[in-house]
Amino acid sequence: MDGSTALPATPSGPGAQLRRLLADPMVLLAAILIQGALLVFIVWPLVRVLIVSLTPGGVFSLEAYRDQLRSWYVQRAVLNSLVVGTLTAAASVVLGFAYAYTVVRTAVPMKRLFHILAILPIVSPPFVSSIAIILLFGRGGIVTSGLLGLRDFNIYGFKGLLLAQVMTFAPVAYLVLRGVLEGIDPTLEDAALNLGASRWTVFRRVLLPLAIPGVVSAFLVVFIESLADFGNPLLLAGSAFPVLSVQAYLQITGMFNLQAGAALSVLLLLPSIGAFLLYRAIIGRRRYVTVTGKPGRSSLKATSPLATWLLFASTAAVAAVVVMFYAVIAAGALARTWGVDNTPTLDALRYVFSVGWETIKDTLAIAVVSTPISGMLGMTIAFLVVRRRFPGRAGLELTSLLNFALPGTVVGIGYILAFNQRPLLLTGTMFILIACFVFRYVPVGIQAGIAVLRQIDPAIEEAAQNLGASSALTFRRVTLPLVRPAFFSALVFAFVRAMTAISAAVFLVSANWNLMTVQILSEVGSGRYNAAAAYSLVLLAIVIAAVGVIGLVLRGGYSPVQGRFL
Amino acid sequence: MRRWYVILLVAIVLLPVPAIRAQSPSLTIYSSVDEENSRKILAAFQRATGIEPRITFLSTGPALARLEAERNNPQADVWFGAPSENHIDAKLRGLTQPYGSPNAPALDARFRDKENFWVSFYMNPLGFGLNKAVLEGRKLKAPTSWQDLLDPAFRGLIQMPSPQTSGTAYTMVVTLVQLMGEDKAYAYMRQLHPNVQTYTTSGTAPSRAVAFAEVAIGIQFTPAFYQLYLRGYPLLTVFPKEGVGFEAPAISIIRGTRRETEARRLIDWMISVDGQNALGDQETFFFPVHAKAKRQAGLPSLRLVPLINIDLDFAGKNRRRLVERWVNEVLGGR
Repeated sequence: MDGSTALPATPSGPGAQLRRLLADPMVLLAAILIQGALLVFIVWPLVRVLIVSLTPGGVFSLEAYRDQLRSWYVQRAVLNSLVVGTLTAAASVVLGFAYAYTVVRTAVPMKRLFHILAILPIVSPPFVSSIAIILLFGRGGIVTSGLLGLRDFNIYGFKGLLLAQVMTFAPVAYLVLRGVLEGIDPTLEDAALNLGASRWTVFRRVLLPLAIPGVVSAFLVVFIESLADFGNPLLLAGSAFPVLSVQAYLQITGMFNLQAGAALSVLLLLPSIGAFLLYRAIIGRRRYVTVTGKPGRSSLKATSPLATWLLFASTAAVAAVVVMFYAVIAAGALARTWGVDNTPTLDALRYVFSVGWETIKDTLAIAVVSTPISGMLGMTIAFLVVRRRFPGRAGLELTSLLNFALPGTVVGIGYILAFNQRPLLLTGTMFILIACFVFRYVPVGIQAGIAVLRQIDPAIEEAAQNLGASSALTFRRVTLPLVRPAFFSALVFAFVRAMTAISAAVFLVSANWNLMTVQILSEVGSGRYNAAAAYSLVLLAIVIAAVGVIGLVLRGGYSPVQGRFL
Repeated sequence: MRRWYVILLVAIVLLPVPAIRAQSPSLTIYSSVDEENSRKILAAFQRATGIEPRITFLSTGPALARLEAERNNPQADVWFGAPSENHIDAKLRGLTQPYGSPNAPALDARFRDKENFWVSFYMNPLGFGLNKAVLEGRKLKAPTSWQDLLDPAFRGLIQMPSPQTSGTAYTMVVTLVQLMGEDKAYAYMRQLHPNVQTYTTSGTAPSRAVAFAEVAIGIQFTPAFYQLYLRGYPLLTVFPKEGVGFEAPAISIIRGTRRETEARRLIDWMISVDGQNALGDQETFFFPVHAKAKRQAGLPSLRLVPLINIDLDFAGKNRRRLVERWVNEVLGGR
């Protein structure tokens, strides 16, 4: 926090940068490959979409943008999107921070269970979760009508949307923040306590400032994803509460007006880019290093017993909502007629395993292939952005965010426009689905990685290099084990999104590859709600198993550093 | 571990190398009919002709958007399902090609294109789906007409789709405009507004809310209501007595297909009496369009449904205007 640069004294200027790079061919190669991949899979489709939005009727014009901005309805959508995005991000970060703090920094019981429960809402199976929300928070909902006694509560509109968004995205904030909190050396807090600071002062003046990169990164990813997401708004906002992502989706798939949809999506990028610039300004060049290679032992004294139990209570309440959410879905999967006849039966599960086996295998295959690519790519980009200087570094982080910031529909359309012609003919293949998932969802890994890397003293890696290790060896044996919490977050998020993403995938699936979420959609379409719930349950089981496997692989792959990194 | 890392990086670079696609003797179909029903209908087609259907499921909007984006290199041979007005749209955009099936003249003129670009193969009327349990619990009388829906007792108890997104809702708007005249229809919808809990994005979402007792009344095309009744939900289907519009999902051959022969056989079979009987045999709850086809047990006779003739030409030409008017006057109250 002393205002010096985040990097050790490095000669700057492009010439010096290049010379350093040439001395380190592995880094140069990685930087070139990754920038090339981002150009092809993020920039090129976006350029195709931009061209469409700027050339209505084949000639260049800003008409599509002007038309949209003039409409009162779109203006209100802009406002609503910003309000919902900001509130969702703020609430998610507060909730995610409290939750992560409880799990990482206090000695409360059931921490592992809380950890798993925090991740589950990311699964949020489409359509089925909206039914669960109606059953929990709707007019006759278990919570709204049963627990709170509200009569004729209306879940549709602003309140319901905010609730659903926070539920869906707070786990993402948790994933980013957990790694950062784990990286902060508790001995710092102990030192402050020993010097006579009160616990509140320690929290405010020591922990919070050190957690800033995580807080800002988490806010950024949640804000961007909430702006671009239209799954929840589509089901809960309704026409009376327009938001921008839904408007873009509607223009493309409801009014068949690709120009207007593309224009709205480009508008949607502006607040996201703005948020990114703000984030850069806040993080700035300050230092957040707390991991210096000296082992630290936590005594977990920094939280008063009262605060611990308050945190425990609120964490347990959040966890209880998650449990209820999935209990409702499990009940649906086991009911004869979900919501009407709750006689338990295994028919729906049996049906899923007889009809849906191929779909489950396909989905799993795509997720299993794209998860490690996504995780590695995320860590590599984070490493390059924080640790290395090379031409185009500033643009790299921003570019990587773009597909994440666009509504899935637009990403999907962009991919068809870009990859349906030679020489880049990819439509109908598994590659296009994997590329779409990898490049769309890698930012969470990047941001988690960046936030954690900022805490780690580069001297550790330099020590390895001074001892003769190559860049690649250093990255593999020193950096990756140190950023393991972020690596975990990146892998989990990539896996879950590959299993559940639907909006872009709808444009890219073919008869050869069927995804479970598409199947859930179709079961809902046929009124087989218990089958849809059963699919969701299978999805959930797979995700829980995957979280376990990812945890084990990371623990086995990298020798633990003094047991500090889970 | 290092080897893995190199392999992964190479994999990323190699992603653009297109996979070699196998040419198999089959028909690639973008289906906007729900998955279960498409599979059943097209399995019957495969039994009858030996042609293997390769189906990708896309609801109407995404299907049309995808066809448009793939225009330069079509990935599908046939667009199966989606109401006929969308096939008119596809025709006007030059996405489809004509085929005059010898079986088409047997159909009523409103179910086929004069220039043979598309032909409808089933139809669904609009209707109200009522949750009997909710109505009884609140001691409400079942509505039987559009006028009944204005009763303040139904405040917040109705769901219907939004015409911005849903062809179903747009059909309802056109129905009301044809029944009442445009200004009166908009006055009616403004009056109905407080009774509508939410305008859903999807044309089939209201049936879900009705099934789970979130609302008492859902307005949409009727097959979902019959289907949910079959699955055990306490639903009742009512056709408002003033009259209802309908959708007539159609089939088109995509311009540039490499499997024209197979595509033509699908059309020939689908609108033949055999193909039409398959709709009932496979329990789709779709009304056949061929006069000689069997009606599925549980479906009312078409004579009992007060169908009106939707003016497709008017509907197509005025869509953007009518939807904008709906947004401004009904949603915006301006």
